[in-house]
Amino acid sequence: MAIPATQSADQGHPLIETRELVKSYNLGGEVIHAVNGVSLTIEHGEYVAIMGKSGSGKSTFMNMIGCLDVPSSGQVLIDGTPTADMSSDDLAVLRNEKIGFVFQQFNLLARTSSIDNVAVPLIYAGMDKAKRRERATAKLIEMGLGDRLLNTPAKLSGGQQQRVAIARALVTEPLMLLADEPTGALDTRTSEEIMAIFEGLNAAGITVIVVTHEDEIADHAKRRIEFRDGKVIEDRLVQNRAVATGALAVEEA
Amino acid sequence: MATIPAKRKGQKFLSSWGVNIAIALTALRTNLMRSILTMLGVLIGVFAVTLAVAVGNGAQESVMQSINSFGSNMAIIVPEPDNEGGRRSYDRGRLTSRDLRAIEREVPGVIATAPQLRSTLDMVTAGANTSTSAVGTTPGYGQITNHPADRGRYISEADVRSAARVLVLGQTTAETLFGEFDPVGETVRVDGVPFQVIGVLEEKGSTFGTDNDDTAVLPISTMRQRFVGDSLPGPDDLQLAFAGFEEGASLVQGKIDITNLMKDRYRVRDGEINPFRVRTTQEFMEESQFITGILQAVLVAIASISLLVGGIGIMNIMLVSVTERTREIGLRMALGAKGSDIRNQFLVEAAVLCVLGGAVGLVLAWLAGSALTAYADFPVPIGIGVALGSLAFSAVLGLVFGSYPAIRASRLSPIEALRTE
Repeated sequence: MAIPATQSADQGHPLIETRELVKSYNLGGEVIHAVNGVSLTIEHGEYVAIMGKSGSGKSTFMNMIGCLDVPSSGQVLIDGTPTADMSSDDLAVLRNEKIGFVFQQFNLLARTSSIDNVAVPLIYAGMDKAKRRERATAKLIEMGLGDRLLNTPAKLSGGQQQRVAIARALVTEPLMLLADEPTGALDTRTSEEIMAIFEGLNAAGITVIVVTHEDEIADHAKRRIEFRDGKVIEDRLVQNRAVATGALAVEEA
Repeated sequence: MATIPAKRKGQKFLSSWGVNIAIALTALRTNLMRSILTMLGVLIGVFAVTLAVAVGNGAQESVMQSINSFGSNMAIIVPEPDNEGGRRSYDRGRLTSRDLRAIEREVPGVIATAPQLRSTLDMVTAGANTSTSAVGTTPGYGQITNHPADRGRYISEADVRSAARVLVLGQTTAETLFGEFDPVGETVRVDGVPFQVIGVLEEKGSTFGTDNDDTAVLPISTMRQRFVGDSLPGPDDLQLAFAGFEEGASLVQGKIDITNLMKDRYRVRDGEINPFRVRTTQEFMEESQFITGILQAVLVAIASISLLVGGIGIMNIMLVSVTERTREIGLRMALGAKGSDIRNQFLVEAAVLCVLGGAVGLVLAWLAGSALTAYADFPVPIGIGVALGSLAFSAVLGLVFGSYPAIRASRLSPIEALRTE
C-alpha cells in the first residue's frame, strides 16, 4: 500500500470505513433506500471506481463518504474518526483538510480567475492572501495551467476547466480525491488527459475515488465497486488496467 | 479532529472579511442594475433621515441664536391678575416701576431692569403708512434686549422725563415708511400725533416667522400718556418688565430671588397662587430645545419609514441573491466553508450594499443641506458626527436586514445546495 506523501496518515486505520450505511428518503409516504446497508473499507492510497447505473446509489454513497450528506443510519469513519456526531463546522473542517472534490460540471465560480477559484478552499483554511496565491499558482502550474492563471472559466476549454477544478481539489493537500463523473462533460481525448492526471496523483499517494457509469473510465482504477439498488453487488480488483496516455505528466507531489 | 488553532483564528477573521468584501463587490457588479435599484432604497432612507436630523439640529441652532440675540441672561416678569368670573380684578397681580427699582436694588446679580408697554400703533408719513407693535420703555431696554440703535440715537432719560414725542424705528418699519431715505430727523404721525424719528434699531432678523425689525421704541411715559394709559389699573403700572443679570449669574437663583421679593411686596402667603410669573431666558432655551427636539424626533420618525422600506428592499434582494447562488453556497461548503463563513459572506454583501447606498445618500443630504443653508437662510448643519452616524447606521441596517437571508444561507445542507440547478 502506498503511503500518502501529502499528509501523515494514521496507519492504524483505513482511510474510509462504512458500517451498515443507509440513506433513505421519504417520497410521498413511500420510503426509498438510496443506499441500503453498505459496509466497506477503502485503504490509504487506493484507486477505486464506484460504478452503477443512474439511481443505483453510487452518488449518494459518495456524498456520504465525502461528508456532504448525512446517513440515515450506519457509520462513516474517516481516517478512523466516526463522523456521526460531528458538528457541521467540524465536518466543514474535515472536508477542507482531508477531502478534495471534483464535479462533473466543474463548479467553478464564474467571473473569477483560475487562481482565485483554486484559492477558495485556502480562504476557509484561514490562510493569508499572499500564501493563498502562491499555493494556488503552484497547483495550477502542476496541472499545466501556468499560462492560464488569470483566465476566467469562460475563457477556458472544458478540459482546462476540469484541471482548474482538480487543482482546487488538491490545493489543501487532501488525503483523498472524490470525483463524481469527472469526465461526464468532456470528450474522449480530454477524458484521457484527466484520467492520466488521476493516475499520476494516485501514484503520488493520494487516494482517488471516481464515481462513473463508464467502463472505460472505471478500467483505469485498481478496484471496482459496483452498486445496484443501494447495495454493493460487486467489489473486485481490476485485472487489466487501462493506462491513460494523456499528454500531461503530473509532477510528483 | 483537526481544528484551527487559536492563533490562526484572528488572522482568519481579518482575511475572511477582506475576501468577503471582494466577493460582495463582484456579486454586486454582476447584477449591477439590481444592486443600484436596491441601493436607491437605502439611499433615499439615509438621505431623508440625515436631512431630518440636520434640519432638527438647524432649528435648534437658529432658535438658540435668536434667544441669545435677545440677551442671554435675563428674566421676564409678567403680572397675572386674577381672572375669576371673567372679570379682571386688579386687587392682585400688578407690576409697577417701583417693583423694578426694588428688584434692581435687592436682587443680587441684576444689573439693569426695563419696563415694557406694548401697543399696536398706526404710523403715517407723506407717502406711506404702516401699523406696528411698538414698545414704550426706558433707555435700559436696548441693552437688556440686545437691540440698540444702529443709526441716530436711542431714547434717553430726558425723553422719558419729558414724555417726548420721539421714536426709534425698527429696520422693517423704517423701510416701509421711508424706503431708501434716512428717516433720522424725519416726522411720522402716530395715531395722528407728529413724532420725530431719532434713530433706527439694529437689524435682528426673524424668529419663528415673526419679524423682529417690524417695531418701534418710544419713551414709556409717552406711550402711557398717549396710547395705553386707560387700559392699565394705575399710573405706574407696567405690562411686563425685563431684568438683566450679569454674566455668569445663576438665572435659577435669580428667578427665586425675584419671585420671593415680589411675594413679599404683594404679601402673597405661602400656598396662594402667585399673581405674577417670572420666566428666564434659560427656561425659554430649555423649552425651545424640548420643542425642537420633538420636531426633530417627528421628522426622523417619518424619515425612518423610508429607511425601513429600504431595509426591506435589502432583505428581499438578499433572499433572491441567496436563492440564485444556492449552488455556489453548496460548492463553498464542499470546499470547507462553515455555516458562519457563508453567513458572513452574505452579511458583508448586505452591509456593503447599504454602506454604498448610505454614502451616496449622505452626500446628497449634504448637498441639499448646503443648498438650504445658502438659499433658504436656514442652517442645516451636517457635521462629522451626523455623517459618521449615518454611515454606521447604514451598516447596521445592512446587518439587521441581511441577517435573515444570511442565516438562511448558512443553514443550507451542502448536498442539497450543490444539487440545486
